[in-house]
Amino acid sequence: MELLAHLEQISFFAWVRESRSLLAYPSILLLHTIGMAVVVGLIAGIDLRILGFAPALPLTPMRKFLPIMWAAFAVNAVTGAILLAADATTKLTNPDFFVKMAFIFLALIVQRLIDGRVFPDAVIHDPVAGDPTPLPRQTKMLAAASLVCWLGAITAGRLLAYVGPVSGL
Amino acid sequence: MLDVLSNPAHVHLWLNHVPTVGFGAALILFIAARLRGHDILIQTGLVMFFVVAAVAIATYLSGNAAEPLVQDRPGISSRAIRAHEDAALLAFVCMEMTGFLAWLALWQRRRARLAAWQLPAVLLAAIVTFGLMARAADLGGEIHHPEIGSMASATDSRPELASGTAQSIGLFVSSRPWVWPTAETIHFIGLSMLFTVVLIVDLRLLGVAKRVPYPAVYQLLPLGMLGFGLNLATGLLFFLGATHQYIHNTTFYWKIVFVVLGGINLLYFMLDDGVWTVGAGDDAPVGSKVAAASALFLWVAVLFCGHMLPFIGNAF
Repeated sequence: MELLAHLEQISFFAWVRESRSLLAYPSILLLHTIGMAVVVGLIAGIDLRILGFAPALPLTPMRKFLPIMWAAFAVNAVTGAILLAADATTKLTNPDFFVKMAFIFLALIVQRLIDGRVFPDAVIHDPVAGDPTPLPRQTKMLAAASLVCWLGAITAGRLLAYVGPVSGL
Repeated sequence: MLDVLSNPAHVHLWLNHVPTVGFGAALILFIAARLRGHDILIQTGLVMFFVVAAVAIATYLSGNAAEPLVQDRPGISSRAIRAHEDAALLAFVCMEMTGFLAWLALWQRRRARLAAWQLPAVLLAAIVTFGLMARAADLGGEIHHPEIGSMASATDSRPELASGTAQSIGLFVSSRPWVWPTAETIHFIGLSMLFTVVLIVDLRLLGVAKRVPYPAVYQLLPLGMLGFGLNLATGLLFFLGATHQYIHNTTFYWKIVFVVLGGINLLYFMLDDGVWTVGAGDDAPVGSKVAAASALFLWVAVLFCGHMLPFIGNAF
């Protein structure tokens, strides 16, 4: 706990928390929200396609969206770490925060499993290869699990402002 | 523009002709087009219903912003205001339903034949909406023109209504601790659904994943509309629950301006013949790229304004 209090007092994190500048807390949280929209938006699009929504959408070229998704994920890892450090004593004592982390961790594992099945190297290196159709049941289960994990992460993240110790941030 | 935005009563008087006169014109056009089986005019009627429903969001919200400017004036009865407010809420909800049905028909007619129920459903919803909107407009007129009213509100000796339906919903939202966080969570899920579509459609047109043909990403649009619908519903709950936080907030006005522009921008993706022919591997025409970049800008601007409500505006 003392360590967390020290972390919060590092001048950059104190600035993020206490400055009235729009560049401090508001902008970092804004980047985190836009990043969330990009990460979840793109992953949900691929997941829903795997589940059979928008069947005319060819899956293989959808992998082109993944680098954008990962860039947004990196933005959220950095902004998330800053937001956490600026409010460590509150967030790291809130069980809801660990629920959110668990959902994101699971979502990442599921994403790797989906990538291996839907975008295998053989397809990526052969640009004219068709989709691996029909998609096996297991892949659909993974897509559903991915959607559940991201819904859980959004819910737990949004509720951080309302449940457990609330810092007012 | 900024000058008009600074006086919500002015904005409301300006905008309230759209859902009444504009919607009436759309309804007459749509009925005439249906009777004559004129396909282009049917499409025009659907577009008008959709645009009026988008502008009606601003009309509805501006009415609440105008209320504090008139409520304490002599001769203004809060009973008349409550009656107009409740009638407007009901008409607004039906208007948005009509807008969604009209949009769905526009979406469907591009990719396949319409189902037999679709145009009759739009017509039925439009007629109900028009009746409710006329009633709301009539009750609105009585606020400042008691001489036309049947209620003789200004001299009414009965006690003032404590609260109407809109106020009861607002009280429900603000007094139950679980309602606001739940609505916020749904608002974020809706936002993600909307961005799924905005990102995939617009990034494709801008050159990412070119092997995806446009008619394929077009299939995604209802998902985005569903997300928007969730956010309109939860957004309305926030607005009813904490009206004062929004009506004095310039950032919120801009958010609504961007929402309405986003709705109008969406029409390009439904109606343009050029974008529809963008096939697998094709580079989209310049016009489509401009529309796609505008859509990305508008929806990020909506998110930006929503996020900044507590920081730039005076809310929360």
